[in-house]
Amino acid sequence: MAAPAVAELHGPASSSRARQNGRGALEVGDIQGLLASGYGNLRAATYLLYRVQSPARARAWLGTLAGRLTTAAAPVTTVGTNLAISANGLKGLGLDPEDLATFPIEFLEGMATPHRSRVLGDWGSSSPGTWRWGGAGYPVDILLMLFALDTATLAAHRAATAPPRDSGLSTIAELETSDLGDREHFGFRDGISQPVIEGLGRTGPERDMISPGEFVLGYTDEYGAYPVSPSVGAGRDPQRLLPPATLAGRRDLGRNGTYLVLRQLGQDVAGFWTFAHGAAAGAGQPSAVHLAAKMVGRWPDGAPLVRSPEEDTPELAALNDFAYHNDDADGLRCPLGAHIRRANPRDSLDPRPGSEASVALVKRHRILRRGREYGPPFGGGPPPYVDDGKERGLHFVGLCANLLRQFEFVQGTWLASPKFNGLYDDSDPVVGAHAPVGGSFTIPADPFRHRIRGMPRFVTVLGGEYLFLPGLSAVRYLSSLPEVRT
Amino acid sequence: MPHQVGVTAVAPVLPAREEELRQLLADIGGDPTANPRLGFGAIEGVHYARLFLLEQATDLQGRPLPAELVFMADFDAPAAPRLRLLVSSALAAWSAMLSCCEGFGPDDAGTARVLAYLKGHRVRDAAYYVNTVGLSLRQVLAEDRLYVAAQSRLDREPELRDKSIAQIHADFKDWLSESPDLSWALSPPEPPRLSWRLGELVHAVAVPLLGLILLPVAVVLLPFWLIALRRHEGSDVAPLVRPSAAHRAALEALEDYGPVNQFTAVGFIKPGLFRAFTARAVLFLIAYGVRHIYNRGSLAGVKTIHFARWTYIDGGRRVIFASNYDGSVENYNDDFIDKVAWGLNAVFSNGAGYPPTRWLLWGGARQEEAFKQYLRVHQVPTQVWYAGYRTLTAVNITNNASIRQGFGRQDGRERWLRRL
Repeated sequence: MAAPAVAELHGPASSSRARQNGRGALEVGDIQGLLASGYGNLRAATYLLYRVQSPARARAWLGTLAGRLTTAAAPVTTVGTNLAISANGLKGLGLDPEDLATFPIEFLEGMATPHRSRVLGDWGSSSPGTWRWGGAGYPVDILLMLFALDTATLAAHRAATAPPRDSGLSTIAELETSDLGDREHFGFRDGISQPVIEGLGRTGPERDMISPGEFVLGYTDEYGAYPVSPSVGAGRDPQRLLPPATLAGRRDLGRNGTYLVLRQLGQDVAGFWTFAHGAAAGAGQPSAVHLAAKMVGRWPDGAPLVRSPEEDTPELAALNDFAYHNDDADGLRCPLGAHIRRANPRDSLDPRPGSEASVALVKRHRILRRGREYGPPFGGGPPPYVDDGKERGLHFVGLCANLLRQFEFVQGTWLASPKFNGLYDDSDPVVGAHAPVGGSFTIPADPFRHRIRGMPRFVTVLGGEYLFLPGLSAVRYLSSLPEVRT
Repeated sequence: MPHQVGVTAVAPVLPAREEELRQLLADIGGDPTANPRLGFGAIEGVHYARLFLLEQATDLQGRPLPAELVFMADFDAPAAPRLRLLVSSALAAWSAMLSCCEGFGPDDAGTARVLAYLKGHRVRDAAYYVNTVGLSLRQVLAEDRLYVAAQSRLDREPELRDKSIAQIHADFKDWLSESPDLSWALSPPEPPRLSWRLGELVHAVAVPLLGLILLPVAVVLLPFWLIALRRHEGSDVAPLVRPSAAHRAALEALEDYGPVNQFTAVGFIKPGLFRAFTARAVLFLIAYGVRHIYNRGSLAGVKTIHFARWTYIDGGRRVIFASNYDGSVENYNDDFIDKVAWGLNAVFSNGAGYPPTRWLLWGGARQEEAFKQYLRVHQVPTQVWYAGYRTLTAVNITNNASIRQGFGRQDGRERWLRRL
């Protein structure tokens, strides 16, 4: 039987008990811009997925790209460029295996292991065996994200920035995106609730102000500690491109970087609205939109159910400063299992719902979302909604410094689990797999609940990968790696 | 309804038979989504049971420890007939497993020999946590049937919605009294036997009384203990050790097939009299706490644990911690770090390799990364795991119990109806 443990290369995550929360002093010139902004004014975007074929040429191209990456230092104007690399990609570029081993285990294993799929709810038609890219079948090495004001500018930007043919990279896929305004494909306003990273100059409700170390390596997190950061042996960074690491004799590869979760989520819009239309009456809802709002937790234009339970109130469309416990502990307004209540429970979970402790706990499980829709908008009503056979959905992009505690926790423990918050068989009504378990949806009501059972699946995972979004120094370091002597 | 009892037995494994036993356990454990092929199917009074192999090891002084087979079960009292049922329903498998252990004899045992061997190898747990004392397996399963039936009724009879809460409550009571297989729900569950409850009360009072008597001694000794504590903590080293990929894979292959998971971990107590004493003292306090205080749904704020125990083995050199809990291991760990770090620190800081603590309660588990790796390194695969209920979480069970009790009560009817 294998030995249970191997000694570590890097020291404890936090050798100092500093309670500073890293306010100010973020090295914005080294941090890729996607962490600071979703580039809302750049309406066009495309994500290019590559495999490394020739390490030397790929590194050379990476070297030319480094200076053109968009950083958090200045707001974007017309174009944006960001880059992420998977574990396989780091290996392909020639990162020393000993240094690669300092990355977190979940990043090295990737999103598609059997155990991880069980936890994330990637089963049945969402299982990695059926994915179009990512996972063991089509590992993604490099993700190049290009943004521009409009499609014409994007085409020019792409021509100028995408690696030319002799760059040692082969294209796995191009994930184009479409501009649906501020909506996602089911018709709901998206992106209202985002954590705000302390130290980048923005502010928001106290509940949403999160320590930078939750999203950027090299700064303190919500535990007051520095997250573990991958590193390289000092001897392998002779040019001192990287800052020193906490452990002696090593240089910090992860500083100013973070982890990026990429998942292609196909959306069955016709199926969703057909279901909502057919199930609304039996679930005690006056219309399909009412039922859909109960499933999401907001009205389509964004007003939260907690503040506007019976009917939509358009003036509350962008409202995000609300909590659950005082107004809606039992879920009579926003069901306990509704999507936004699961993705961000605010103050509704143990310990002591409504308390500071409850909010503090949720702050440790936030994700920064930067994804974009793809595919043409669905033609729409009136019912019956016939599927037009076109592909559409969301290219989900999530950023966090701790994949296990943030992305996997939210996706697995809160969204996919049929047992969230005391429920029995309710996985997320919008994104859950719904079979073989978790296909119920409970709508608390007076005198007693409405219950839907056997919901169909509306969202299918079509591809996924864990990637590392490096700081600029790290990109330069990777482009300077020597040829691997075999 | 009976109270719950933990049974633990530890048997040294014959060195030449360790591999064979490992294979046997893997075969018996079988499909991790279903109960093991050990004839454990629907055994009255068995909540959870497990069998796992502790591999050969060397203690902190360099002395060898043989491989050990450990059996643990969570029973409704009385334990003896449950054990008899467990053994007799899969005699061949038990005989095969135990014949790989020292002092058992050939693989052709009858029930009597197996039971005698287990009895001879029984070990007392240092502390034993039960989520809800007095909640028997039969009650758990019955109240779940009640829940399902009540839910179906609400689905099928939406016209109930037009009635008032009082009317709905009365209507349900009528429905129950007319259903022969559910009418039991109208009366509250029987509490455990009076004699047992009296015994518990005596213990609950006697221990603090004794503590009060010993208080002057404790006060005198406290400064010495605190000085020794800081001295030990100052010299504690805990290099960050990660679990190997093979070890993690072995653990993950057995996890997250349903909402309930098992957890088994073993570690050495740090050498020296101070640590040995502190571990015993803290475990004694924990044993008291879980027996008399934390026995109604919450372990100091953590509501996801069904059963848990701490058990000394190898003459006090090692401690096993074993539990049945809800959710993923990441969720479990985060729950502990966020809610009961102080409790974990108090007991596990006496274990070798634990992240350093300060004043026993601070540090330690609060170092998120170090703590999580420590747990994973010390976790061992639970090769054979039986669950009397695989799809109900502790919160579900508590909710079902409250629903049943609500049938018999007039107050809190609105709250009651919200539970469904």
